[in-house]
Amino acid sequence: MSATELRLGAVAYHPRIVTIWERFRTYFADAGVATDYILFSNYERLVDAVLGGTVDIGWNTNTAYVALDHRAGGRTRILGMRDVDRDWATVLVMRGGQQAGSVTELNGRVLALGSRDSGHAAILPLHYLAAEGLDVASCRLLRFDTDLGKHGDTGDSELHVVRAVADGEADVGALSAAYFSAFRAESVPAVSDLEVVWRSPDYYHCNFTVLDSLDRELAERWSRALLAMDYDDPSLRPAMDLEGVRRWYPGDRDGYASLQAAMQQQTLLS
Amino acid sequence: MTVDPEPVVHRVDAEHLELGGGLEILLAAALERVAPGGVLEIRTPSRAVALELPGWARLAGHDPIDQIARPDGHVITIRRGSSTRILAGTLPAREVSPPLRDGALHTADWRGGDPLAEPDPFAGFAPLGSVPETGAPTHHWRLSRRDSVWADDVGELVDQASGQQWDASRDVPWEAAHGLDETTERAVAQVMTFLAQNEYAALYVPAGFLPQVNPQLVELVLWLSSHIHDEARHIEVFTKRSLAGGHHGYALASTELSLSTLLDEHDFTASSLLLNVLGEGTFLDLLRFIETHAPDAATAAAARLAHRDERRHVHFGISNIRRSVTIDPDTAGPLVAAAEARAAKLVSLSGLSPVLVEALTIMAARSLQPADLSAAAADVRALMQTTERNRLRRLQACGFDRATAGHLSDLHTPNLM
Repeated sequence: MSATELRLGAVAYHPRIVTIWERFRTYFADAGVATDYILFSNYERLVDAVLGGTVDIGWNTNTAYVALDHRAGGRTRILGMRDVDRDWATVLVMRGGQQAGSVTELNGRVLALGSRDSGHAAILPLHYLAAEGLDVASCRLLRFDTDLGKHGDTGDSELHVVRAVADGEADVGALSAAYFSAFRAESVPAVSDLEVVWRSPDYYHCNFTVLDSLDRELAERWSRALLAMDYDDPSLRPAMDLEGVRRWYPGDRDGYASLQAAMQQQTLLS
Repeated sequence: MTVDPEPVVHRVDAEHLELGGGLEILLAAALERVAPGGVLEIRTPSRAVALELPGWARLAGHDPIDQIARPDGHVITIRRGSSTRILAGTLPAREVSPPLRDGALHTADWRGGDPLAEPDPFAGFAPLGSVPETGAPTHHWRLSRRDSVWADDVGELVDQASGQQWDASRDVPWEAAHGLDETTERAVAQVMTFLAQNEYAALYVPAGFLPQVNPQLVELVLWLSSHIHDEARHIEVFTKRSLAGGHHGYALASTELSLSTLLDEHDFTASSLLLNVLGEGTFLDLLRFIETHAPDAATAAAARLAHRDERRHVHFGISNIRRSVTIDPDTAGPLVAAAEARAAKLVSLSGLSPVLVEALTIMAARSLQPADLSAAAADVRALMQTTERNRLRRLQACGFDRATAGHLSDLHTPNLM
């Protein structure tokens, strides 16, 4: 085994993370930039590890990235993101036939939200809905704070959200468009009679973050290897499917402004 | 400055279809006609569907491009992703259907020729005509060369096996097994026990080969499966007949020794010779003898039904060996060597077990009266001559010359199987 050049941190939100990174570890070694991975149980610990130098690259959720960038004083760089991370969105769902013409019609209703540390199922929906005129204070928020520390990666809180709406416990629920489509594709019973009534603007989701201090040539070499990963390579496709990516992109900061503002407003940045 | 709109070349009207209600199917079919990077325009009257479609597109590997609300509905455009859904070439164009004979689609006709001589030995369970996706787990089939295992009429034999199934519980008149006297019933129980014991080996041998066969040689897979199933029923029917009269028989050690050497043979064609041609071939004559001399209708039916199956197994063995020897005459040597090696392991067997000879004779005599026994003993001696004569005939049908056939017949186990 060649000497490790980079240490990558990821959160083990599911056993498949080991499968993914065992394959990717081999891939990066073959690509000439040996990368080992270290797993964490939550993103807060991962952010600490990047700042503390225990790992070089953090495979961050958007919430973790914004927190890391804030704590690093903006001295971070993004080495890549998935195709799906570039146009992530939140949707609001209601039971069929209960279309809301505008967001303000939801005033005073029961709004189901996912884990409070989830950018897509809690932080950003409140941010965007308030911006569009929803009186959040008039709503009763039904929060499902499951898997805290995982930032909504597990999808568990979003499953609670759609069930709450389907059961009539909530009038409307917020979750990522990606999870709603995945629930639909998996024929999750709770979503069969739900309809999307609102979709947020697109924003970015996960990215690979490094501190500015990381050797630039090494970082670029790693990024090039990442972007060269080929979904049509049968030995890579299973791991890429598990990671939910068909193509990697370089990534940039443009799609994180809304979350940064939201976390600032909701005093989630320290 | 104006920007050229996306060159929309494909459109689909979702009408009132929704995601989760069939729209995905319509979209997948529409996208099949769009080249990677091409654009599909989807019209829907539903705002909810329009809001959900970008998420669906992303999940399905396509890029959502635009969404426009018009007075008459919503228009969503997506760009087809560049990755293929399935890592395989395109499916071949539709071909002419396999021919029918009297309305039946026969196994012999479904591929229009022989399989490849050297199918990919690492191939998976890809059914005949299918296009396998790459990236699947691989196997390594030990029996992968067509000419090592094939028989020219294996397809016809598979169809015969399917068409001649029978039911060991209901197709035998079991009440007829209840009325025999003590002596005769005890003899029948011993003969049936002997048959059932042998049929275990006849099942375990093909069962051992089955998981080694390349699935591309599917006719052989089906054939071995039918052989195994036939033998399972033979074990069943002979065990039932041994039990039906209330008596018990011995599972003889000499029989077990003979059968164990069948399991030692790991070459497919050598096993065809030892089991199908020599063993089951000899059993054909034994079963015919039992059917003819059975003291009751249940025993006769069991022997007759099993005989029908064994004929197929013997036919396959002869066909398989004849093909091997014809293609490569040098294969005859190793086949003879296999029979010699087996005989060397069975030197301690000096003849058919007296226990079995007695049981066959009493079963045929149906009494211990000297006159009856004398006639039955002559019939059993005649059976042994018949088995030898027919063995020679079958070996010559395999392609062995008369001298080699005589040598092989002499080597055959006195246990019959």
